[in-house]
Amino acid sequence: MSIFNLLRVRIPVLVLCSFIFFTCDDATYDLDNPNDPENMDLEPPALFFHPSEIDTKLDSSFSMQLYGLKLKPAAAAHLDIRYEYGSVQIDSVVADTFFQSLNDPFQIVDDDSSGTLDYFIYLLPDTVAEMNEGGTWSLATVYFTAISTGGSELLFGENTKLRDANNDSVAVKSFGSGFINVE
Amino acid sequence: MMSIIRGIIILQFVCFCFASETTKAVSLKTGSQLAILEFEGWAISQPLTEFLTEEFRETVRDLKIFQVQDRGITNKFKIFKPRKRDYWSCWSEECALDLGRKLGVNYVLAGNIQKKGDDEFLIKGRLFSVDMETILNEFAMNSSGITDSLLLEMKKMAYNVSGLPVPDTLSVGSDLSQVATSEDIKQKRQWIQLPPIPSKIKALMMSTALPGSGQIWAEKKYPGYGFMGTEATLGTAALIAYLQYDKAWGGFEKTYSDYQKGSDPHELIELRPKIIQYAADTRKYNAFMKNIRSVGLSIWAVNMVHAYLVAPSDDFFDGEYFFDLEYKTDVNQVQFNVNF
Repeated sequence: MSIFNLLRVRIPVLVLCSFIFFTCDDATYDLDNPNDPENMDLEPPALFFHPSEIDTKLDSSFSMQLYGLKLKPAAAAHLDIRYEYGSVQIDSVVADTFFQSLNDPFQIVDDDSSGTLDYFIYLLPDTVAEMNEGGTWSLATVYFTAISTGGSELLFGENTKLRDANNDSVAVKSFGSGFINVE
Repeated sequence: MMSIIRGIIILQFVCFCFASETTKAVSLKTGSQLAILEFEGWAISQPLTEFLTEEFRETVRDLKIFQVQDRGITNKFKIFKPRKRDYWSCWSEECALDLGRKLGVNYVLAGNIQKKGDDEFLIKGRLFSVDMETILNEFAMNSSGITDSLLLEMKKMAYNVSGLPVPDTLSVGSDLSQVATSEDIKQKRQWIQLPPIPSKIKALMMSTALPGSGQIWAEKKYPGYGFMGTEATLGTAALIAYLQYDKAWGGFEKTYSDYQKGSDPHELIELRPKIIQYAADTRKYNAFMKNIRSVGLSIWAVNMVHAYLVAPSDDFFDGEYFFDLEYKTDVNQVQFNVNF
């Protein structure tokens, strides 16, 4: 059998053999997204502001999420938010997915307009569960309006706490902070 | 005194005049004993080569140029120099002259019949002079067709060996269609005019291009299919690994792109373990492919050496013009010989 016949008959084998020479690049990556909670130096379970920094303009509206990182199952929360009075003003607070069930959560917003926001939120039990499953989710979104230029900080106050369906405390080990820069 | 001197001069002149004829008479006394060694068959059966060799002997004997030695005596060389059947036994000058001396003949003819394609044969022969210790002539004939055509070519070769013109009856008796085919082959080859490639190099090149093909070409089918199958299996494994790698790489690229563009912490924290998993998968499958490549290339190299070793040694590889890698059973060593 000539070499041409061999090649003609065994081209599939030749093609298969050619795959022996295949090698590719190894995947390389940097998980350095600043919005990744793993890059925020927080010890879970934790609460933090998302985004942690906002640049905005005077008289413009913006929002920040109150986020939980790897939280245990919870049924209610009291979020004590400290902000710089005179720099920003709170327009509204809207519950997000963490306490969402088949029913919308029950919430109380107490803004004394002096730099402290007390926000109470309760999960209303349904036929499936009486508390959520925990995890990394947004608890609420706060809408602000910038009323003066300069930088101001957002902090979680000491009254911030979470409770489960048995009214037992849900641990939160660390708290993040936020920063608003108004130009 | 003068008459004696004149007589000596005349005698010297006469001797000078007949000197060339005297030399010719000596050369004629070298004898015409010819031993025709059994032709080596390559890819054709042993009974057929034996039959063709004997027919060749009979034809040369009938032409009465040589005194052809009887088959039984000639075949004693197998006792002198036993060799494996799949190697051409005595194709080199050194071997043929050695056998010729042992057989006590003046000439030795060695040859082989190679099957080149489905219906194509190449008959090659060498006529050695034992007394002059050299190759006198070399013959090569192409035959395409059935055994009858092969027999016809052997008879033509007998005429060539005997130095006689091939009679027209042999040409007329041949199958014209087969002759035409043979002519076509010759004409095609004239266009290419490639130098002859030694069989070992050819097998090496074939096995380099496709593992096992050199062995199959050299009629070592089991090792050939073994190498081919092994490499094909490794290739299949490499292909599967590559497809898995490709899938993992696709997933990695998508999730990593989403991660880099994303801003939602919930999504980012879910993408993170996926990226790590996809990257680990790509590394795993890539490492597997690298291992297959190492093993496959090693086997490929072994296959090339094996093809070279098992391919028949032909006239380019008998230590006269080229190099030779040969396993010597008597000293249990592989020897590499280079001659210019």
